[in-house]
Amino acid sequence: MRASLRAPRIAAGALLCGLAAGCAPSPDLVVYCSLDQEFSEPLIAEFERATGLEVDAQFDVERNKTVGMVQRIRVEAGNPRADVFWNNEIAHTLRLKDAGLTEAFEPANAATLPEAYRDPQHHWHGFAARARVLLYRTDRPVRLPRSLDEMLDPEIARGGALAKPLTGTTLTHFTVLAEQRGREGALDWLRRAERSGLRWGSGNADVMRGVARGEFDWCLTDTDDAAKAIQDGYPVAIAWLDQGPPGSGTLLIPNTVAILRGAPHRAAAERFVNWLLSPAVEARLAASPSRQIPLHPGVAVPDDVRLPGRDFAPLDVNWPAVARAIEACEKEFRALLVD
Amino acid sequence: MRSWLTSPLPWQALAWLLFAAAAWLPLTPLLAPLFDGSGLAALADPRLLGLLGRTLWMSAASAVLAIALGLAYAVLCVRVRTPGARLLETLLPLPLLLPPLILAQAWFGLAELRGPWAAVFTLGLATAPLPGLLAARSLRRQQASAHESALLCGPGLALREMLSTAAPATLLGGLLAFFLAASDFAVPDYFAVQQPLFHVYAMEIFGHSRSASYADGAAAALPLVLLGLAGLFGALALQRRVRAAEVGGGRAPQPFDTGFAAKAVAAAALLTLAGLLILLPLGRILQETGNSGPLDPRSWSEVSRTAFAQVFERARSDFRNSLSFALLAAALVFLAAPFWAHALLRLERRSGTLARLGGAALAAAAALPLLVPAVALGFGAILTLDRPGLRGFYDSVWLPALLLAGRYGPIALFLLLERMRAVPEAQEDAAVLAGAAYPARVARYRLGPQAGGWWLAAGLVFVFALRELDLNILVSPMNHSASVRYYNALHFSRDNFVAACGVVLCLLLWLPLAAGTAWRALRASRGGGSGA
Repeated sequence: MRASLRAPRIAAGALLCGLAAGCAPSPDLVVYCSLDQEFSEPLIAEFERATGLEVDAQFDVERNKTVGMVQRIRVEAGNPRADVFWNNEIAHTLRLKDAGLTEAFEPANAATLPEAYRDPQHHWHGFAARARVLLYRTDRPVRLPRSLDEMLDPEIARGGALAKPLTGTTLTHFTVLAEQRGREGALDWLRRAERSGLRWGSGNADVMRGVARGEFDWCLTDTDDAAKAIQDGYPVAIAWLDQGPPGSGTLLIPNTVAILRGAPHRAAAERFVNWLLSPAVEARLAASPSRQIPLHPGVAVPDDVRLPGRDFAPLDVNWPAVARAIEACEKEFRALLVD
Repeated sequence: MRSWLTSPLPWQALAWLLFAAAAWLPLTPLLAPLFDGSGLAALADPRLLGLLGRTLWMSAASAVLAIALGLAYAVLCVRVRTPGARLLETLLPLPLLLPPLILAQAWFGLAELRGPWAAVFTLGLATAPLPGLLAARSLRRQQASAHESALLCGPGLALREMLSTAAPATLLGGLLAFFLAASDFAVPDYFAVQQPLFHVYAMEIFGHSRSASYADGAAAALPLVLLGLAGLFGALALQRRVRAAEVGGGRAPQPFDTGFAAKAVAAAALLTLAGLLILLPLGRILQETGNSGPLDPRSWSEVSRTAFAQVFERARSDFRNSLSFALLAAALVFLAAPFWAHALLRLERRSGTLARLGGAALAAAAALPLLVPAVALGFGAILTLDRPGLRGFYDSVWLPALLLAGRYGPIALFLLLERMRAVPEAQEDAAVLAGAAYPARVARYRLGPQAGGWWLAAGLVFVFALRELDLNILVSPMNHSASVRYYNALHFSRDNFVAACGVVLCLLLWLPLAAGTAWRALRASRGGGSGA
């Protein structure tokens, strides 16, 4: 019986300790970041050291299919907490712009970025991209597709895999396809894929692991996942899709950064965005294990980083149209694949 | 004795005020979309109906597997004098400490499992500790006299007597396992690689939650919420029909002391179960800490050491934060849950339709925070609590503690309700006559004999709070937590780091538990306590 009274006292003691912990100090800048914490965190720490500003970096998680930062920014719109959104892709940043949740800013370092990766109204800026590539086994004969359509050849499809286009860059990729061929064209591709013998993974990293293990001959994935398998020493290599006639090209998905509407620390946000868009940061991200592809011209990169225009042809994409279509596409892809 | 001390009213009001702030207030923006009926459209759409049907059978199959494994584990640990049983019993909570997706990856690595049955298997193993822990606690509280009388009439009756004792708690554990399995789609999605694909309804909720309107996810969740409520009321009704088979403070039945051959069989069975539930997946995860590509010149131990060093370097403060949030949430629930449960019990024991209806409504309202998707609760918290006047509170450790207590408090509430039902009314009546203060009545006379259940309830809240991911992504002070670090690395295929994180998390939680068990065993061997 004595124990039954001792226990509540212990619990009350724990609560008193919590009271003593108090509140967190207020930061000088709040950044919502969906790039891999392993790579973005050291860069943000470097910014803090260089400027003396204290940054509260909040990270996203896509793996467990959480809803993430984009929805959080929408819900917080009435009382914004974040200053900057550093997104590891582009379509959802544009959706935030369309929803009126970003603000214009023209950083000096954005001037040398290609126009295709800059917003004409300066609400967002693209940098450090990932490409959608094939990862394949080099220790066995593999028939590789040269284009998305060749993936559907049953001979080729049998050894291949891709993530279901319901989230992340695969959803963006198939929304781009829907923009090029019409919604029905993309749905038709997916229907044929279901019959072709292609296998579906729950994410890009999963299909990459499947190739590394030898379960699949090849997969469609992102360059950062592919780079991880190569660095780990698996007998795999990267192939570039759609390097055929003019107008085709490999899909390049940049990181994007935007200042959010009502940013509580606007001056610090501008400083951060300008710093993030510097060629030096792109060089750091290119040299990191994720091998992000720089968009500034003349950035020094490791030998294994391929550059758009020099080493492969990038696909021209109407990003605003993709951003407008992505939610509807996701619903239709879900209705087709999730049953 | 002053009346405010003896009267339940002020204490109940305080406890329910806490519940309202922690759970109902963040739920308010969701109630209209949740119950606007659009979620019931699923019942008219064959595709969605198919998803619901698959969710039902997958969750039911997982819960049945969890009950079978958990109950068997509990019986072998508690009621058979099996060598090593005490150590293996302390290992039982471990599968709950790992996110089910990690277990899925471990089992894929071990046996290359695929398909819907792989999802059932993994979710069953991941949730087996719930019925297992609750059954073990019940079996320890069985009346020795009832058991011995049944034994005189034959082993069959003794077995029935034992199972009927453990049934209410096991059922509650199975129900929790069902809820967890029904709301998980990362595991089914992970195993759905080959044609034909299969999916569950939670995937649909996730899809809706990403749409431009934050409320769509809540609306889509209605079928699962209603299913959860139906399951809860079914379980509560069933429990009411089971007689109070346990009492505290009395003599517990002795474990069966069987012959050598039977002991060896029991030990082998227990070891097999422990292998399935804990040793094999955890061993695989441990192995993954040192896995590397074929051309990596480093040894397994070198890679593993690096992974653990990275965990300690990068994730130390995240682990500290997560532990603080979970500990505070568990402490809040530990103090408040007995009052919540006692309020429901009092309504249940009152005669009259109105009281019974009130009790049912309160039970449904109390279960709601657990049944709605955590994402929706996170949105609700932002909308209601992120206000200029509340900024100090919003940025403190108290917001995570409060939200986690609200989200997982219902687990403790229903567990304690089940525990309190097992204590004879007369004990509390005597305390009322003696003029005992209300908190003392609840703590000493209702829960005193069930102190283990009380700790277990708070422990489960602690574990679930530590595992929480969706709320941590959405609510600002919770973002710097172990689960965000863990899943962030998992998405980007930092497999060694993720595995090392998992092992550290398990050890961090298991070592105090093991130390506590060892201390209790030592005390029991010196005659200082029961050791139960």
